[in-house]
Amino acid sequence: MTAGMKRPSGAAAQPDRSGALRKGLVYLVLIWACAVAIYPMIMMIINSFKSDREMNINPAGAPIQWTLESYQKVFQFHNGLWLNLVNSIIISLVSTVAAVFLCALAAYAFAKYTFWARDAMFALLLATFMVPPEIIIPGQYIFFARLHWINTLQIQIFPTITPVLGLFFIRQYMLGIPDEMLEAARVDGAGHFATFWRIMVPVSAPVLGAYAILHFLSVWNAYTWPVLVATKAEVQPIMVMLPQMVDPVVGFLPVWGTIMAGATLATIPILVVFIAFQDKFMSSVVVGAVKE
Amino acid sequence: MPNTGLAERIRRAGIRMRIKPVADSAWLGRTALEHPYHAGAIHKSWRNSLVPYLFVAPFLLFFLTLFLGPAVYSLYLSFCRYAGYGSIEWVGWQNYLAIWQYPVFWTEIRNVLFYWIAHAVPMMALAFGLAVLVNSTLVKYKNLFKPLIFTPQIVATVAAALIFKNFFGTQYGILNRVLGVEIPWLSDLNLARWVVVALLVWRGLGYWFVIFLAGLTSINPEILEAAMVDGATSWQRLVYQTIPLMRNSFLFAFVVDGVVTLRLFAEPNVLVGKAGALASVEAAPILNMVIENIQTARFGLAAATGWTLFLLIAILSWLQFRLFQQRGES
Repeated sequence: MTAGMKRPSGAAAQPDRSGALRKGLVYLVLIWACAVAIYPMIMMIINSFKSDREMNINPAGAPIQWTLESYQKVFQFHNGLWLNLVNSIIISLVSTVAAVFLCALAAYAFAKYTFWARDAMFALLLATFMVPPEIIIPGQYIFFARLHWINTLQIQIFPTITPVLGLFFIRQYMLGIPDEMLEAARVDGAGHFATFWRIMVPVSAPVLGAYAILHFLSVWNAYTWPVLVATKAEVQPIMVMLPQMVDPVVGFLPVWGTIMAGATLATIPILVVFIAFQDKFMSSVVVGAVKE
Repeated sequence: MPNTGLAERIRRAGIRMRIKPVADSAWLGRTALEHPYHAGAIHKSWRNSLVPYLFVAPFLLFFLTLFLGPAVYSLYLSFCRYAGYGSIEWVGWQNYLAIWQYPVFWTEIRNVLFYWIAHAVPMMALAFGLAVLVNSTLVKYKNLFKPLIFTPQIVATVAAALIFKNFFGTQYGILNRVLGVEIPWLSDLNLARWVVVALLVWRGLGYWFVIFLAGLTSINPEILEAAMVDGATSWQRLVYQTIPLMRNSFLFAFVVDGVVTLRLFAEPNVLVGKAGALASVEAAPILNMVIENIQTARFGLAAATGWTLFLLIAILSWLQFRLFQQRGES
């Protein structure tokens, strides 16, 4: 602290040297922070190119022998870890398409129609936001158990298809779309649904896309609910399978090479999306947090 | 609806967005009606028909059956004894009393509170510090540092926990191998809790960094320039101006993060639990009690735990709302 307070007088006397020193320090801290931030991910990728055996001897360094053995194992292990990857993809994609479609439909009515109890209904929907989804798990579990849906893919999809957050996001965007566009469609003789499908959906594409990414990520990352309702390997998503993977002979020992290969495969799709839409990605994450 | 990590924080961000109009007009609908495009939205002949209900119906039907129904049923269950078959027996407050007298409940509450305080304080400080550095005039490559520091957010929660589990392994862990020691980072649960904290800091830092950075860039530069003219040093400007300006943001972030941490599940379980099993009580989050009670078919206890958790979250959310109002006033 005291050093920090004293520094200015020094800076006034020798602006150049102290400035350069300070600049160097700042960069050093930032580079260090970046290194800490990306090191674990880089280790994940590097370790995915080691065999399970090598991981036990050499977990920290570069691979002594670069090998795709772990990736091959992803396709063989248990019933094939790739099946869990496919499960994850099916669950996330179907959920995303369904959620975005349902939200867009409802958001259109909430944004562009006037009807009885519209605002009350919307406020009530938003109020349920306060209820954390975990609280309804016991009720949900019994409901789906009675449908005999435990250990299916659809039990992992259905509870995720009505996100109030998506409804809110999309409605906010649709509010900003001029009525003239809808009027024009109506004059051309388009019906209600045609107006929605041919005008509203294309014009709202940016928010639909942005929300689709967020929703996909949240389902892709889901852990609590799948752990509870998917106990059979063939219906588990990759996130549930990965932590369970142990050596088939020894039993308790995690097969780190295979796990890292699986984790890499599960991370790469997100990484690609992130690199492609960096700014949008980050700004949609922090949307509304500070802006007033 | 399962929501973890990044998505969860986005959810909270959404909450912040909607509280603003409530605080402004005391009634959410008003802001909607004041929107220039809203009131006369659709041609008159289209109003007052069944059409809008048809648009809303699919969402509402699914929402009622998949969310609201089970939520109400959970509340009912929390006052009952039910094993998943046979009859449902009304027991009143017994489930709640049983939980509150159960030591595991308090251990797990202590754990989540520990996880919250221990990770949020250093994480927020680091995130803000980094945001100040990146925002300073000294630094050029802002667009390079920003995504790099954000990177941990895009690693899947479970994948991140597994990387840490590998890193802190006792026999085959990266850290112990490099140091040449065998510290039981994850099997000694007192240490393991700190490893969970490290994971939470590592993964959450990028998110708050981006938020604080956005906050810093939104501070009116004239205020800071005025101080600069007065001869204040950059350190003094930071301490006497920027930090007070962002004080409510810090409190707010802290509370939002608390709500997320109360609902923690994947991180401690994957990290400390053995091969997909749940973590031992000493490191377990409170949500484990909900899951374990369902797995052992004690639905009443599970529901009562869930609603107790809701109570805690509601208190925090109320706090958050109050802070938000203050923030709106200042």
